Amino acid sequence: MAIDRKKIIDDLSKIEVMGNDEGLIPAFGVYITQLPTRFWNSFADRLIRQAGPDLQESAEGLLVNAAHECGYHTGYGIITSDEWNSVVKPMVKKVPEDILYGAYAVFTAWGWAKADIIEIVPNERMVVRAYDYYESDVVSGGISDRPSAYMLRGVSAAFMDLAYGGEYDPTGKSGLYTFKCTQTQGIECGDDYGEFIVQRAA
Amino acid sequence: MAILGKTQFVLDHKFDRRSSRHSMNGFGHVFHCHHYASLYTQLAEDASFVDARKLLADCSEDTFYPFLRQYYERHETTDPWERLELASQYYAASGLGAMQIRNAGPDSGEVLLAHSHVDEGWMKKWGKNSTPVNHLTRGYIAACFSTAFDRPSRSFEVREVESLVTGAERSRFVVVVK
Repeated sequence: MAIDRKKIIDDLSKIEVMGNDEGLIPAFGVYITQLPTRFWNSFADRLIRQAGPDLQESAEGLLVNAAHECGYHTGYGIITSDEWNSVVKPMVKKVPEDILYGAYAVFTAWGWAKADIIEIVPNERMVVRAYDYYESDVVSGGISDRPSAYMLRGVSAAFMDLAYGGEYDPTGKSGLYTFKCTQTQGIECGDDYGEFIVQRAA
Repeated sequence: MAILGKTQFVLDHKFDRRSSRHSMNGFGHVFHCHHYASLYTQLAEDASFVDARKLLADCSEDTFYPFLRQYYERHETTDPWERLELASQYYAASGLGAMQIRNAGPDSGEVLLAHSHVDEGWMKKWGKNSTPVNHLTRGYIAACFSTAFDRPSRSFEVREVESLVTGAERSRFVVVVK
C-alpha cells in the first residue's frame, strides 16, 4: 500500500492548535474547537438514556447525522488542506481508495479513534475497525447492549460520501447521505474493537 | 506546552501513541467543527422529550468544573479573579471564543462574549436565530464561577440575555447564585 500510516500519524499528531486573537480556530474551511471528550460523550449518553426506548433510535440517528455533516465538511477541508498536501498527498497513488486510507490515518492522528480500514469494495462498501475510541468511554465498567459510537458512524459514512458520492457540495444538498454506516461491534459492548460497515444508502 | 497570556494558563498537551488519544492537562480532548457543535445545539433546541438546553448546559458544567478545579489546585491559584481570568484564557485557547468577565462576586456576575464558536458557527451554517443558543457557554460560565468561589457545581444560574446569534453586537450572560 502506498499510504505510510505510521508516518502520517507521527507527523500529524504533533500539530498543536490554539484559538486566535478572537478565541476562534478557523481551519479546514470550518471553525473548530478542542474540547474535553467528556462533554460530547455526556450529552450523547444522557440524551439517549433520557429518550426512552421509543425515541432512542431516532435520537441516535440525529447524533449520527451531526457527525455525518461534520465529517463531510471537515473531511473535505482536511483532504484539501496544506497539512494533507504536504504529508499525505504525495503518498496517494490510487484515487479515491488511498485517500480513504490516508483519511483514517489522519483520523487516528487527531484522536477521534484509533481506526483503520479492513475492507473496501470501491463505490459499494467499506469496513472499518476502531481499536480505541473516546466514545466507548460512556461505559467504564460492564457492557452495554447498544453500541454508542455515533460520531464514528457518521464520519465513516461521510468519508464514503466524499470518495464516491460525487463532487463535494458545500451546501450539503448533494453528495451528503449517499452512504450510511452501521456499527456491528463495540468496545462499549464488550468486544475487542468497534466495527463499522458503510454501505450505499437505500 | 503552551503558555497563554499574562496570567499564563498552561496547557500540557500529550498524544498517547498506544491509544492514539490527545489530552490536555490529563483530560482527553478532541477536535470537532462548528457543524458538529451546531447540530448538537440544534438537537438540544428541538428535543421535546427532555429539557435538552439544560442538559447541554449541565454537561458543559460537569465537564469543565473538574478540569478547572484540578488546574487551580495544581497551580495553587486561590484568587477568584485570577481563576476567572485563567478560565477565559482556556475558553479562548479551546476555540470557544473571546470571553470577558465584566464583573464577578460570590453572589453574581456578568460575562461578555465578543466572539463565540457556538454563535458564529451557527450563523455560518444557518444564519441568525431568534433566541440565544449558547447553552454550552452557560454551563461553562457556571463552572467558572463555582470553581472560582469554591462552591459545588450547580451553585450558579446563568442566563444569556444578549446574544450574537440574534444579531446583538456581543453576547451577555448574567450570573446569579442559586
